[in-house]
Amino acid sequence: MKRNWIHPEEPQNAKRYWRSTAELERRESFLKNLGREFPAGDTLTPEEAENGRRDFLKIMGASVGLMGLASCRRPITTILPYTQHVEWMVPGKPVLFATTMPRCGGATPLVVTVHEGRPTHLSGNPLHPLGGGIDSFAQASVLDLYDPDRSQKPLGAGKAISWAKANELIAAAAADAKKSSGAGLGIVVGATTSPTYLRLLGEIKTAFPQAKLYGYEAVGGDAQAVNKEVLGAGVKPFVKFSKAMRILALDCDFLGVDPVAGEPIKEFTKHRAKETKAAENDMNRLYVLENRYTLTGGMADHRKAIPAALIPAAAALIAEQLGDASGKALAASAPQALKDWIAPAVRDLIDNKGTAVVLAGSRCSAEVHALVASINNALGAYGSAIDLLQEAPKPDMGDFAALQADVSGGQLKTLVSLTPASLFYDAPDAAAFAKLITEKGVKLVHVGSLLNSTALHAAVHIPAAHYLEAWGDVRAADGSYSIVQPMIAPLYDGASENDVLLALLGRKKLGPAEKPADGAAPAEDAGYTAVRDTFAQVAGGLDESKWNFTLRDGFLKGSAYARANASVNAAAAGTIVSKAKAGASPSDEAIEVVLVPSSGVYDGRYINNAWLQEAPDPITKLTWENAAWVGSATFKRLGLEDGQHIAIRANGVEIEIPAIEAPGHVSNSITIPLGYGQNNVGTVGGEKGVNGYVMRRLPGQFVISGAKVEVLGTVAELAITQTQNTMEGRAVYREGTLETFNKDTEFAQKTGMDSHIPENISFYKGQVGKKDTENPDGFDYETKHQWGMSIDLSKCIGCTACIVACQSENNIPVVGKNQVRKGRLMQWIRMDRYFAVAKTGINNVAQESTWAEDNPTPEQLENAEMVHQPLACQQCEAAPCETVCPVNATVHTDDGLNAMAYNRCIGTRYCANNCPYTARRFNWFDYNKRNPLVETEKLGIKANNLYFGPLGEKREDESIRLQRNPNVTVRMRGVMEKCTYCVQRLESAKILQKQVQRDSKNFRVPTDSVKTACQQSCPADAIVFGDLADAKSSVNIAKASPRNYQVLKYIGTRPRTSYLARLRNPNKNMPGAENIAVWSNNQY
Amino acid sequence: MGNFFPRWTNWLPLKVGIAVVFIALGVSIGVAYYFTPKYTRVGYEPTQPVPFSHKIHAGQLGLDCRICHSFGEASGHSNVPTNQTCFNCHGQGKGGIRAASPKLELVQKAHQTGQSIPWVKVHKAPDYVYFNHSAHVNRGVSCVSCHGKVNEMEVVRHDQPQSMGWCLDCHRNPEKNLRPLDHITNLNFKPSDLKRADFYKGLLDKKVPSGEIAEVIGGKGAKADDLDALVNLAEKTFGKEVTQKEVGTQLKKHWQIQPPENCTACHR
Repeated sequence: MKRNWIHPEEPQNAKRYWRSTAELERRESFLKNLGREFPAGDTLTPEEAENGRRDFLKIMGASVGLMGLASCRRPITTILPYTQHVEWMVPGKPVLFATTMPRCGGATPLVVTVHEGRPTHLSGNPLHPLGGGIDSFAQASVLDLYDPDRSQKPLGAGKAISWAKANELIAAAAADAKKSSGAGLGIVVGATTSPTYLRLLGEIKTAFPQAKLYGYEAVGGDAQAVNKEVLGAGVKPFVKFSKAMRILALDCDFLGVDPVAGEPIKEFTKHRAKETKAAENDMNRLYVLENRYTLTGGMADHRKAIPAALIPAAAALIAEQLGDASGKALAASAPQALKDWIAPAVRDLIDNKGTAVVLAGSRCSAEVHALVASINNALGAYGSAIDLLQEAPKPDMGDFAALQADVSGGQLKTLVSLTPASLFYDAPDAAAFAKLITEKGVKLVHVGSLLNSTALHAAVHIPAAHYLEAWGDVRAADGSYSIVQPMIAPLYDGASENDVLLALLGRKKLGPAEKPADGAAPAEDAGYTAVRDTFAQVAGGLDESKWNFTLRDGFLKGSAYARANASVNAAAAGTIVSKAKAGASPSDEAIEVVLVPSSGVYDGRYINNAWLQEAPDPITKLTWENAAWVGSATFKRLGLEDGQHIAIRANGVEIEIPAIEAPGHVSNSITIPLGYGQNNVGTVGGEKGVNGYVMRRLPGQFVISGAKVEVLGTVAELAITQTQNTMEGRAVYREGTLETFNKDTEFAQKTGMDSHIPENISFYKGQVGKKDTENPDGFDYETKHQWGMSIDLSKCIGCTACIVACQSENNIPVVGKNQVRKGRLMQWIRMDRYFAVAKTGINNVAQESTWAEDNPTPEQLENAEMVHQPLACQQCEAAPCETVCPVNATVHTDDGLNAMAYNRCIGTRYCANNCPYTARRFNWFDYNKRNPLVETEKLGIKANNLYFGPLGEKREDESIRLQRNPNVTVRMRGVMEKCTYCVQRLESAKILQKQVQRDSKNFRVPTDSVKTACQQSCPADAIVFGDLADAKSSVNIAKASPRNYQVLKYIGTRPRTSYLARLRNPNKNMPGAENIAVWSNNQY
Repeated sequence: MGNFFPRWTNWLPLKVGIAVVFIALGVSIGVAYYFTPKYTRVGYEPTQPVPFSHKIHAGQLGLDCRICHSFGEASGHSNVPTNQTCFNCHGQGKGGIRAASPKLELVQKAHQTGQSIPWVKVHKAPDYVYFNHSAHVNRGVSCVSCHGKVNEMEVVRHDQPQSMGWCLDCHRNPEKNLRPLDHITNLNFKPSDLKRADFYKGLLDKKVPSGEIAEVIGGKGAKADDLDALVNLAEKTFGKEVTQKEVGTQLKKHWQIQPPENCTACHR
């Protein structure tokens, strides 16, 4: 049947959702690439174009010749059963274990899927008090375990040494320090909450009384030091998002890369979704002040872009309005517009005393934290929306300045670096620090999993164990004692931080475990004993059954921190604030540089993780590198284009970095994501991006003012995914304010064409359980499941956890920077990011007028809204892709899936062509078999490894294979792939039900018992999946919401995935409130 | 003009045509037979590193399949036993049965070194086929349906083609292979071994209405109120002995056996 899709005409009067300013302004550069779904041949680089037909024939000829060598005989394969049976092991069935990922300052509770001893996939631990979805860093950390470029052997001054030698060196250092009762020994640790780690550090202090401890994290802040003075020693604020109905965030990306200690994000998003008319106070409201767009800014109801230098002024203004005048001098420097913005916002906070909270980002300066403590005190947040918890005492630690002083003072002989930061890369003025270490003859013992610059230049480098390889423990943000248990024996005999401390204490030998003498039981691992000892202390005795329950659940019940008996010390806060100097607004001549942790590699520790590198940055959609984010106004003033290099001079340093236009970014401010620009770390992370750390001179210096910018001529081709797979803007994203919703709860269903079309009737709806002449067997639809999904845009924060979870579950390959540039990204879920403005042009014309008149003003671009929409295969009931497949490789199943039979696919790509959602991905190369990240030279031609086909280098990194999910086909070249609602999970759930029921009748999978990988990972609980034929399932409840709408409904594809329109809750008294989340019947 | 072509060439096109027809026929018959798993797989009988005899263990001794292949009911894979399993009977200090036999040399060695015995794979589903044992053996499909009478094989041989068409044959008509669950691993099972009254009693005990059972036996309109009536009806329809069709159709209907024919059932 030929289908004529009558697309609506581009409305001339409509609200605009756009992906880049180039699109909004219809720039030539955008129009050129519009509509090229597979810009394959179009985008050959000059070298590739030269290596044309002749080379192709050469290579193909050779490969045809080689083909004959393959034997026709059936290869003999063997089955190797275990010799000794392994406990819990049922071949073919995964075992789930609870564990915890230690993070700086907290922990992520996890459940690990282990297939025959290989951890393959991570998900949140639902039993844990802080359990729920997990972020992309935690999700991707399983890949780090199998990273082939991980540090595998101890190094001595950059050269491989044996474990015996490494042990000897450590023992010698310890013996040396012992003689002088520890003088000369220094240990640098990262932010940790591990009781065993802290206990062992205490024991080090006992064994070596003169030894010194230092705390250092690359992206740390002053928050802890301030809390100690203002709130008291060991007092930790714990934010209860379930109670916080008004939140004001000061440069605090608590939904993104700057989490605060508090309840999981899902508690925040719970208050964002409304299904029936609701009062303004029933929905929470988020105010955000920041210099660049963050995920938190995107979720905000009110957001103002201000220079980072003005954040202290903003904090002081808020405090002033609440009666704390200590920051008067700071507040005076605030511009009028900021004052006008803050006044009604603070009014709203005061009106909601007890449920209002102000949050400061971890990188904010000390005075901001002090002011925020005083503000929260005035708002009555402590005790209601913020709990003050009493942490366990920690050993005293010096900061980086103390470390620097001690090294230059010649007081250190041996420095053991246990921090996940890389001192010679990310420390302030790292080069000088490295030189100092050498000059003063300090012997650096580095423990880490990457072969970064610190590892290569340290006197001794010890490969660190991954957290899935070693015993450990950690306290979660609320203090719950959580266990870190090994899932696999160390692949490269790495040592955990605890192991190294035990080695210093002389209780453990690092490296491979010694084989016990014949018949003897293997000696108990000292790391394990240490954790058990700590457990005994925490649990009040080593009760085996308690220990086993802790291992099963992943945490010890009832071990959270007690509430602290603390109050805000106003005098101490005042002293801190009075020391602060007012920051100046940046100007054209003195630009401000803001250093932020990146969404891809955080502070640089995930640099070698290909999933994270390839997951597009949620804001800029940039992959594989960093770029300087420049606000649209400054971007235009400098006459830049995306990828053009700029030289930034500040603090006496100059860096060259490609620039990228960032709508929503404040003018005269440049944001540089940190963590990139590390060399030699491996094929994934090496030579990617630019190091931003060189710009800072002090550990807490994340805002550098007075920078000069020079535009350079060269333009880098950035691997940005934002302009790929365009959707032509057909009311794809729908949002409104709570007010709009209260006026008409079904506004989303009347947007765009949807008000003019008849209702789409599901093929399956009404069929369920119906017995008639057409369907004589009757039971057919009773027993068949009908899968469906609902994505709540009110809850979706736009992080990329679902993308990475999908990649991990479904064996999706990484394609590399070059291929991303060509639009060949393989991720099944695409996180669409749109900006929107309600009014444009110098005339400030409202949305309902002609749109092409003039370009947006800098203010409009600065205040553009940002929204995210995850989009994967929609599982259309009337799928356009199925009708065009010549080989029936994509067909419908009777449970409503749009199935892919990979082994049938011949790669015509007709289906992708016909998919209105561009949800299909094509394997242009053998991404799984050939390493796409390296260059190869064959027959005198040098090109990307992929282009050599069968002659190309096979992946050497066999270890990556261990991560693969055995229940999902690893697709090869020439095969189309896409989301199938994790069909392997659905099938196993159905089979499990059959196993249980056997000769009985109830084959319906228990309600909501099967979850897709994206749903499981979503920290915001935005994705709901389930059986539409099961009336009780939560997906039916979600889809009954009046906010429910289908993307491109008018073309009649009847998608099984539907979206719930987003709601925002603007405050009418705020300036510009009328422009926020304006719903428009038409959209463009 | 002379005759360029000799006389015999007049028949050449016809001869060539006939030859082509025969060759084409031959090739297609050849491909249809020799290129299928029926030829390429059935009969594959590799020598195993340990001369383990299924005939002795499963046949003569009557060991249940699940004693060694212990997880077939719980997992997608039916596991090859660990060395420990062999040792439970043959190990010194354990069962000690023929512990010194030279045939067990490899087993002894594996026990000492921890190196697995490299059993040669006989039945190999392609990588993109996700066959699940538990879904079959829990639902009335016996081991024998796919693996043949292993209890009579000295060395295991590939008994059934196990091609996609063969799988689908059964998925479309499962009644040919269904049997009561307590006979799943009974490789010598014949439907005629069943006592008719016991079989129907079993169904009635599962609370299947006797009317529905009767309709499966006798078609629409057939009636039977109690067990005796059912047995009589079945005897009339199927004869004195219980037949596969009789068992299969009942189980298919009352266990709701609806083998999936979706691609995703086996390919993911």
